[in-house]
Amino acid sequence: MTDGRPDGGSQGHLTRADLFRRAAAGGVVLAGSGVLGESAMAGIDAIDAATPKRGGTFRIGVSGGSTKDFIDGQNIVTVPDQARIVTGWETLLVFDSKFKLAFNGLAESIEHNKQGNVWTIRVRSGIEFHNGKTLSADDVIYSLKRLINPKLGLFGGAALKSIDPNRIKKLDKRTVRLTLKQPDGTLLDALGQYIAGIVPVGYSPDAVGKANPNIGTGPYKLKSFTPGQQSVHVRNPNYWRSGQPYFDQVVIIDFPDDTARVNALLGGQVDAITDVPPAQVAVVNGHGGTKVLESPSAAWRPICMRVDAAPFDDVRVRQAFRLIANRPQMVQQALAGHGKIGNDLYGIFDEAFASDLPQRKQDIDKAKSLLKAAGKDGLTVDLQTTSGALGMNEGAQVFAQQAKAAGVTVNVKILDSGAFYGDQYLKWPLSTDFWGSRNYLSQVAAGSLPTSPYNETHWPDAKDQNFLSLYNQALRTVDRVKQREILHEMQKLEYDNGGYIIWGFTTLLDGYSTKVKGLKTGDKGVLSLNAFGHGYRTIWFG
Amino acid sequence: MTKLRRGITGFILRRVVLGLLTLFFVSLIVFAATQALPSDPARAILGRTATPDSLKALREQLDLNHSVVYQYTHWLGSFVTGDLGHSLAARGEPVTAVLGSRFKNSAFLVLIAAVISVPLSIFLGVIAARRRDGPLDHALSLSLLGLAALPEFVVGISLVLLFATRVFHWLPAVSLIPPGDAPWQHLKEIVLPTVTLVLAVSPYIARIMRASMVEVLESDYVEMARLKGLPEREVLWRHAVPNAVAPAIQVIALNLAYLAGGIIVVEFVFAYPGIGSALVDAVNNRDLPIVQALAVLIAGVYVFFNVLADIATILVSPRLRTSLR
Repeated sequence: MTDGRPDGGSQGHLTRADLFRRAAAGGVVLAGSGVLGESAMAGIDAIDAATPKRGGTFRIGVSGGSTKDFIDGQNIVTVPDQARIVTGWETLLVFDSKFKLAFNGLAESIEHNKQGNVWTIRVRSGIEFHNGKTLSADDVIYSLKRLINPKLGLFGGAALKSIDPNRIKKLDKRTVRLTLKQPDGTLLDALGQYIAGIVPVGYSPDAVGKANPNIGTGPYKLKSFTPGQQSVHVRNPNYWRSGQPYFDQVVIIDFPDDTARVNALLGGQVDAITDVPPAQVAVVNGHGGTKVLESPSAAWRPICMRVDAAPFDDVRVRQAFRLIANRPQMVQQALAGHGKIGNDLYGIFDEAFASDLPQRKQDIDKAKSLLKAAGKDGLTVDLQTTSGALGMNEGAQVFAQQAKAAGVTVNVKILDSGAFYGDQYLKWPLSTDFWGSRNYLSQVAAGSLPTSPYNETHWPDAKDQNFLSLYNQALRTVDRVKQREILHEMQKLEYDNGGYIIWGFTTLLDGYSTKVKGLKTGDKGVLSLNAFGHGYRTIWFG
Repeated sequence: MTKLRRGITGFILRRVVLGLLTLFFVSLIVFAATQALPSDPARAILGRTATPDSLKALREQLDLNHSVVYQYTHWLGSFVTGDLGHSLAARGEPVTAVLGSRFKNSAFLVLIAAVISVPLSIFLGVIAARRRDGPLDHALSLSLLGLAALPEFVVGISLVLLFATRVFHWLPAVSLIPPGDAPWQHLKEIVLPTVTLVLAVSPYIARIMRASMVEVLESDYVEMARLKGLPEREVLWRHAVPNAVAPAIQVIALNLAYLAGGIIVVEFVFAYPGIGSALVDAVNNRDLPIVQALAVLIAGVYVFFNVLADIATILVSPRLRTSLR
């Protein structure tokens, strides 16, 4: 129930890498004209060996959803919000199917100076909003200012804190210059998040989600919307990518109940669904005419230990708990095997991911002796959890079973999401949570710094400034090899002393009717169904 | 006759006043219960996406910074003047706008289920009593007991497997009624939820009807009617059934009232856009105005059917009728 996985959060990639590689070369033009994503497209065409066909109404059943649904080009709360935002809104640059940033969005180029604190954004010419107005620098300025306006509290704003609203300058009608508060190597990641959409000047003046008209530059225009039920989107005839999109109409329907959603697909009432429960994968694949699309993701399900609260303020207790986890068993039981085991490190799609650190395995004897050394043998703790995302409760329960072997009693407390994410959220000594796919530095900014909006573990220890100074150093470091060394050092610190037990990464499991063409297995997924067919424009009815 | 009417009018009046009092207490208890739930609407609505900024923005937008007493009295004051207030989760949409079409959908579903299940179960009860201890009676008893023991969602899911997804593909698996459409424009979509509800309530009514009918069939006046040489059909439907229905009325009323609440599960199984799913959603969001409106509505249905049952029982039972004089 509730928010499914709209950690919506972000994602992130290449930024830092690309950014500083080119910075090192001197000048810096990050761009070209959107080729990466297009080549991925060509791949799809080759696989299906068919040219896309126009027409039809595509109906998709989406998990979660509620009367709290809204449509805002720069904000989401529920999974249906995610499914809807991509119909009408586009970002300056996008993450491609390999989780790399591609200049395949509204920006023609984004350049920056050597220090990484002055950025110049140039948008493509001739792109129109749904009302016919041409996209200009003013819209970009308005969009960025709206994203970081604390009064609106937009979800995407948190990752763009380095932008100084008073130092955004229009250079010409397609060019904007940002002077940041400090160098920020994660800026491109943040601009590539699907929630950093570009909206027209004056968008949503009084209330979140109540913009009138509710328009963007995307492939479909909003026709009707009933929160908690469904929305209808019609083809944008002036869309800038030639030929796309293919459907005449897209209908997005809320299905909070897993069984009803799967039944709607099996019964042919919808053409695709998000989030097939692992137990139903065989049913969907065996039904004939329907299939499950599997997309590996860098989304993770941690058990979070607060490094500044007893008993986890003793690093030996944290280490013991990490050794209690039998990760293959957790992935097998909590995710029905549809996932990848974790090594207490996030950012698995990041090229700086510390894959050389040895895979942590269950070691009950060592866990026991660590607990004994800490004077905590026979420990009893509460583990707070909620069904916020698949695997949270299940993982907690499997872990509690495993803990018995080490003489630790873990009382799993399953709360409803309102209670879990209530006032105690981010204060529980031991809890579960869920996170989406992000690159390493973006994830650190979101969850592992004193300034992070969602720091469950309260890492890093206030007495130890080492991690923090490494982070700041990393943001400023231009040399890629050196930066990678710093990131490795940071990951080593978290691997040895951190507060997360990261036992697994999930695989996105979505269902579709085989008459839908253009979907690609193995896409490194951030959003379901290849980011909803990249805004329902790279899929069609065969 | 005038005396009788006054007696009944007074009785009804007393019942209605008591009913309103009940509703008041229900609203008070529900309000207290929602206050006892941890968390507040802003946190519940934003869930995992909450940041200090977004929480602050939403709290201001939803005007949540008032005392508990103020919130309740404010709600009550508006409610008695017919203003149901504004949904929190839907960012200030009027409650009537959020619930309007959903109420229509649920009411239609309950109505159809009632219109089918009441006569059907009375008929089944009568037949079973008439063939008491025969094979038909045993078969009916067994299957009714079995159905009564099954939760609605099991029945619903089994029907879906049988008629929509696995065995046959005759009916839609879920009830997608597009916003703006009336439920009677989508009768095919309503078949399975209706059948589920009918199967949920009929066993109880049929069984009480059978028991009551068995008793009546053994009574002196039925024997008298038979001895008079009346055809069996007339004995059964004109003399026995009206008397047997009286004890069943309370059970029928309770089951009809149950329908109003029982659709919550059924609506969930079929993704039916009614008040049941709206209630689940509203509780998750701590959307107080919606929770209050629906709690009072559902409690109102209970009260209404109970009062109705009391009145009907009196009207069909001469003994009670005279005692009111």
